[in-house]
Amino acid sequence: MLDIADRPTSHDDNSAPPAGGSPIAMNVVNRWVPHNIVMRDSWFPVAHDYSVTGKPVRRAVYSNPIFLWRDNGVVVASEFHPNERVVRDKSDYTDARGRYPVMEHYGVVWIWLGNPLAADPRHLPSLPFLPPKGGLPRHMTATVRFESSAPISLENLIDLTHADFLHADVVGDERSDSETIETYYDSETVTMVRTCVNKSVAPVMKFFSGIKQPTQNVRQVIRIYLRSHCAIAYGRFSPGDDVPLFHPCTPETRDRTRMEMVMNTSNAGRMFSYVMPKAGYKVSRQDSYMTSPQSPRYMRHTDRKDLHSKFDQAGQRYRMAMMELADRQAKGDFAYRDNVSADCSDIIGLRKELFQF
Amino acid sequence: MSLDTDLWWAVARSEEVTSKKPLSVDIGDQPVVLWRDHHGIARALEDRCPHRRAPLSLGCIRDNGLIQCGYHGWSYDGETGRLKEIPNMKDQQKFPPLYKANAFGVSEQAGFVRVCLNPKAEAPLSAEPKYSYIGTVNVSCSHQEYLDALYDDPALILAIRGVRFSPYIMSELHEEGGMLVMERSCQWHPLHWPSHFVAEFPLTLLTRTHPLTGETHLTLRDDAFNDLLHAVLSPVPAARGVTAVRWRAELGVRRPGLRGAMLRGVNPLTVLSSIDGSKLRTTKPTVSLHGEDLRNALLDAPQDTHDQTVAA
Repeated sequence: MLDIADRPTSHDDNSAPPAGGSPIAMNVVNRWVPHNIVMRDSWFPVAHDYSVTGKPVRRAVYSNPIFLWRDNGVVVASEFHPNERVVRDKSDYTDARGRYPVMEHYGVVWIWLGNPLAADPRHLPSLPFLPPKGGLPRHMTATVRFESSAPISLENLIDLTHADFLHADVVGDERSDSETIETYYDSETVTMVRTCVNKSVAPVMKFFSGIKQPTQNVRQVIRIYLRSHCAIAYGRFSPGDDVPLFHPCTPETRDRTRMEMVMNTSNAGRMFSYVMPKAGYKVSRQDSYMTSPQSPRYMRHTDRKDLHSKFDQAGQRYRMAMMELADRQAKGDFAYRDNVSADCSDIIGLRKELFQF
Repeated sequence: MSLDTDLWWAVARSEEVTSKKPLSVDIGDQPVVLWRDHHGIARALEDRCPHRRAPLSLGCIRDNGLIQCGYHGWSYDGETGRLKEIPNMKDQQKFPPLYKANAFGVSEQAGFVRVCLNPKAEAPLSAEPKYSYIGTVNVSCSHQEYLDALYDDPALILAIRGVRFSPYIMSELHEEGGMLVMERSCQWHPLHWPSHFVAEFPLTLLTRTHPLTGETHLTLRDDAFNDLLHAVLSPVPAARGVTAVRWRAELGVRRPGLRGAMLRGVNPLTVLSSIDGSKLRTTKPTVSLHGEDLRNALLDAPQDTHDQTVAA
């Protein structure tokens, strides 16, 4: 069940950042060492379905080796390469043959890292803007990498105010008449909704979608599935297009992140539908420019606390939720208390009529 | 620099130690002289004549296998360090036991001469072959800084012809059999996509590092799990904060095609003699931070977990 984390904030609210007391326990938030968080009993997206052929390709989640190939068209996920002279022990995450539970959905190959007997398709995150059987054109997909820990990348994503500065040349600057941020969460997800009225129009829409107006209303949603390190980034631009993005941050190691992104631009104009997914290449490097040097600074606990503003509440909630889940897992509790596969269309405000499959 | 006296350091390649001329090396601040006696056995003494402190490495090796100081001609036995002869005292052939240079343990395997400051330490065992491509460099960089550079960006200290190291890691630094092991994704050079947009990497570099000596075994592998190159890199802390690096390498499976051809023929491995300071300064310490934690954890563990036999 979703809870509302925090009261909405707006530009009209001139109150100072919460000093010492906020709905979220600041002491917990400041104990954030994302490199120490290792999630298990979760589906992790590891490859676009078209990447997996008869020839083995290699992936990793938390350094666990994963080799993917197709056997009579069916995906196999093994911790050993078929040509490998096996001299190491099998992990606890695979069956007797060294195989991970694996499934294909939404055009993505997912592996289950955790107790193989607990693998259940019901724990697959809901991505209602993607066709369940895949099939989106390849130009709507990409693979990009970040030299940072996956939680750092996701914390970067959930605070969209960074986009006004780091990605202003793609999505527009910070100017708007009003801006509100709401945060919702349960034990497995954190969802942030940012609503901007009369925001500077995104240059990418100005140039490739033909938006003539100087401003647009924007509703942006970031929904993070904590265990899988996956996010939905869904922007509704008026005037403009609906741009839902599957933004996984698969932790290849504790300090390197892989993103098999899928942006469904099938409802946008032809030029925009081709160009916008490619913007991921540019935007990811802009993000890396900051998260890459940032990440090592979170490798170890420090007594020096981070400063926070009222726009950080979603990020703070993300930190807390991740730490709570990690704490539960450390105590041996891997149960799902909330259903991540339940259709989240209403939560993210998806215009379902545009995404019928 | 204070060092664990029971460690075996690969201070020389076998080819460097001869019966023609003594070789001067260091283990931290301890100067060591190496040579081969008349039986071809490698010997190691402190590089300091107990008579007037002259470096023994400035002397010569006699036909009987003794090392002779070049200052006053005192001659020492390599196995025990005992003084055997003083040229001006031909009539006196026996000297008190106190008349000796400090002798060190020596072990020679897989093309490396290893020295242990404790002469009674047990020599490590090794089943490694002797790789034929060889080299020695002295780098103006501390031993730990050198290893940190290897962990964070191998391109700071070495190059493999036709190969580019990526910042992406298949397996982060972890402990395996008492060694620090990691695997880094690599690309063929020079034609490649930017690594941050690449879905599949055709190569990986597997490194296995001894947590104390830093001796590192490198294996370059292709995506079919063929070993294309094997190398051993042996950094030893030397005087004045310098790190002396001896290495050996051998090509593995012959890879067909143009890219494989880049590896074939002549030695594809270069170990750099200097580190680019501007690159080092801006290389973020990431893997090395984990390495520091792991190393500390290993050092706190019972001693047999970092048995050097594995490294050798």
